[in-house]
Amino acid sequence: MTDAPILEVENVARHFGGLKAVDGCSFSLQPGMLAALIGPNGAGKTTLVNLVAGALPLHAGRIRFQGTDISGWSPHRIAAQGLVRTFQISREWPRLTVLENLLVAAPGQQGERIWNALLRPGLGRADDRRLVAEALDTLDTFGLYAMRNEYAVTLSGGQKRLLELARAVMSHPRMLLLDEPMAGVNPALTDQLAHHIEALRQGGITFLLVEHNLEFVERSCDHVVVMALGRTLATGLMADLRQNPEVVGAYLGGESVERVAG
Amino acid sequence: MAAIVFYLATVVNYFFIYNILAWGLNIQFGYAGILDFTYITFMAVGAYVAGVTSLGPQQPGTGVVYILGWHLPFPIPILLGGLAAAVLGLIVGLLAINRLRSDYLAIVTLSVGIILYSLVGNLTGLFDGFDGLVGVPEPLNGQVHLGVNTYSIFYMAVSGAVMLLLWFFAQRLRASPLGRTMRAIREDVDVAEAFGKNTFRIRLSAMVIGCFYAGVGGALLIGFVGAFSPDGWSTQETFIIWAILLIGGRGNNWGSVVGSFLVIALLSEATRYLPTIPNNAFLEPALRNIVIGAGLIVVLRFRPQGILPERKAHFPEIRTAAAQAGDPGRD
Amino acid sequence: MTIFWLSVGFGLVTASVLALASVGLSLQFGVTNYVNFAYGAFLTLGAYFAWTVLTGGHLPLGLAIVIGALGVGVVGVLCDRIVFRSFTRSGFPLFYLLIVSFGVSLILGNVVQGVWGPSPQFFAVVSQFPLHIGPFLLTPAQLVIIGVAIVSMVGVHLLLTRTRLGKAMRAMSDNPALAQVSGIDINRVTTWAWFISGSLAGLAGIALAISTASFEPGFGENFLFTIFAAVIVGGIGQPYGAMLGAFLIGMVTEVSAAFIDPSYSTDLAFVVLIVMLLLRPQGLIPARGKA
Ligand SMILES: Nc1ncnc2c1ncn2[C@@H]1O[C@H](COP(=O)(O)OP(=O)(O)OP(=O)(O)O)[C@@H](O)[C@H]1O
Ligand SMILES: [Mg+2]
Repeated sequence: MTDAPILEVENVARHFGGLKAVDGCSFSLQPGMLAALIGPNGAGKTTLVNLVAGALPLHAGRIRFQGTDISGWSPHRIAAQGLVRTFQISREWPRLTVLENLLVAAPGQQGERIWNALLRPGLGRADDRRLVAEALDTLDTFGLYAMRNEYAVTLSGGQKRLLELARAVMSHPRMLLLDEPMAGVNPALTDQLAHHIEALRQGGITFLLVEHNLEFVERSCDHVVVMALGRTLATGLMADLRQNPEVVGAYLGGESVERVAG
Repeated sequence: MAAIVFYLATVVNYFFIYNILAWGLNIQFGYAGILDFTYITFMAVGAYVAGVTSLGPQQPGTGVVYILGWHLPFPIPILLGGLAAAVLGLIVGLLAINRLRSDYLAIVTLSVGIILYSLVGNLTGLFDGFDGLVGVPEPLNGQVHLGVNTYSIFYMAVSGAVMLLLWFFAQRLRASPLGRTMRAIREDVDVAEAFGKNTFRIRLSAMVIGCFYAGVGGALLIGFVGAFSPDGWSTQETFIIWAILLIGGRGNNWGSVVGSFLVIALLSEATRYLPTIPNNAFLEPALRNIVIGAGLIVVLRFRPQGILPERKAHFPEIRTAAAQAGDPGRD
Repeated sequence: MTIFWLSVGFGLVTASVLALASVGLSLQFGVTNYVNFAYGAFLTLGAYFAWTVLTGGHLPLGLAIVIGALGVGVVGVLCDRIVFRSFTRSGFPLFYLLIVSFGVSLILGNVVQGVWGPSPQFFAVVSQFPLHIGPFLLTPAQLVIIGVAIVSMVGVHLLLTRTRLGKAMRAMSDNPALAQVSGIDINRVTTWAWFISGSLAGLAGIALAISTASFEPGFGENFLFTIFAAVIVGGIGQPYGAMLGAFLIGMVTEVSAAFIDPSYSTDLAFVVLIVMLLLRPQGLIPARGKA
């Protein structure tokens, strides 16, 4: 793969008081990749996702998306570029219906402009006709069609996971950052989610997903970034990383993390 | 007979005006989740600006001091009152709306109210201190020349027309994609931001629109009462509007109508059945406020969404051709 | 120069009143994680309780102060038990608690208005012979206020560092989820937090009433935002931050009065609050576990 990278993370750092949650992290991803970010609990994976998405300010380093330096951008500007993230704990909009959860996620709606909303409601309605059709199709795909008019708060945990992904799809992303999309779901649903992710990748979306399910990572991901103690330890294919003593020490073998890093 | 007509017309005018006020707060809080604890300040600014732009130039010797005195005809003062409140709302919003906990917004708005109140006392040249305004012209009465009773009936048409116009826009905003996104921001601002919504700008616009409503409500009130006294614009009054909104049902503009009906009925009617306690004139208004405070707490505890909860949005379901061809048998 | 030192002296008095109030607000916020908008009414109640005990019961001032302060502590516990707890137990979102405390403020403020009437009252016992102490010129009452504040701050420090209750409070403030599973009796700690917070508010209200000569039903509420300013400057939910914030805001408002029109001194506190929110919203000493 020799294309220009879609995402470049360079020496990114973030501390909380004295705690160096992310401490010089670097890697880059090619368009079309299904990449995994793995590492033990507290390695700084969620913090890194927050940094890339702009939800936390960087303390050092630089992030480029499709060649554009997005360091220091606000989250909504980054999302508008097509780099969209999900949350480790599902965060639906509880008192919006499932359908509305998807509609809000759609980018570039004319009816979101204040004067259009007040004076030219036809523009919003025209958008909505198109978006409702698209959202219903998406809900169909994710098996949530029957729940479309329920408040999102009433969904089960697994359904919320599906909604999280469906909503992200509705935002027409170029790249998705998924923070543990399969956390706490049953094996059947894990397969279902894996299937959706692969289908979306076929459709051209690049993925970086934080995942503890190494079986899935080995089977599906074509690139793996390993983090420990806020640093990137290694990158490459899962099969190769299994041979890497540092990685085995930090994560796979369950040895003390401190020893390897120190 | 005339007395009862005047009384009823007064109650109806207040009812219309409180509807407008509650809708403005609904846009801020019910739609966008902004905790504005100084809503009454925006109403006061609207009232004051409407007052000084409809009054003629200040007369030396009367002791009433104010700025402007433009003597503008209806409905320009009302519009200017709304705009002045909106501008103040913009400034407060710029200071207070950030990505911090919602308590901070409540704290900052409350502080703004207290500070502006003290400024009114200090800047006597601008606001006439705590003496306020008197003799504010009745809108359109230069044209219609009505007596007090008939004018209060006529004024129902004025405030009613303004109310209907503002109802129309409040409902339109609610149904729009912007209104939907505001509700998403209310539910979880970080997630809305993560989906590319400029949450700061959208919340700011809800703040400004809501303040415009507050300002227009205040302007209508001063047009009806004809006087303006800063004493009547305390934090307690803000709480009355909050009570209307939350008892009626936030997010639902019909709820505000129910809420303002109930609260007005309580304010103007219920206390007359209390036994009068001699030598304690403050007890009655105090009891009234205690009842409103306690009533709101009880409603929030046992009917958290209010009497008329927000209604689910439904959309005409038009499927794409592909979906219709793919699964013909779907519900 | 004398005016300057004079105003520094007043600054110490205001800072003392503010420190009592801010630490109380911060303690309760730290433990329960919501702001109590009825806190201004707590201050008012303290002044009226002590005044009633003093004028009606003919008890010595010291005893009246203690009874007034503890009385507000009891009011705090009652508010929590009767109102707030029923919301927190059922998991209501944050804004309900803010509105409900706003409602409690309305109720308490009107109880004061209904019982004592709207006209200003004052503590008649306060003697006003100023004493020269170093460069300062302070009345005995003002010295007592400073003394009470210092003793209370030391007391709060000892509570937080030396007692199991204080350590439990800090644990709940830093990490509520962890505190929940580590065997802390959350109910008991919360009750004590309300009692201590209310008592400090009561003390602060009495001190404020004595130092400003007169008080009326809205006086605590008008002071509330100065308390907020101190608490936010110091770092909300952080008692030591609240002490620092109280000192800074007290000094700024009083010392500035030597240079600008004193009626604008509270506006200056507001300016400090806004600048702080814009530049360092987490406060000078950020609290753990509070975003
Ligand atoms: N807002 C914060 N304030 C203080 N410390 C934080 C904050 N967020 C994260 N941390 C700390 O930073 C470190 C990295 O946390 P992070 O959530 O990024 O880990 P993670 O790799 O996602 O772990 P997990 O697999 O458990 O999700 C942890 O020690 C965590 O306690
Ligand atoms: Mg994580």
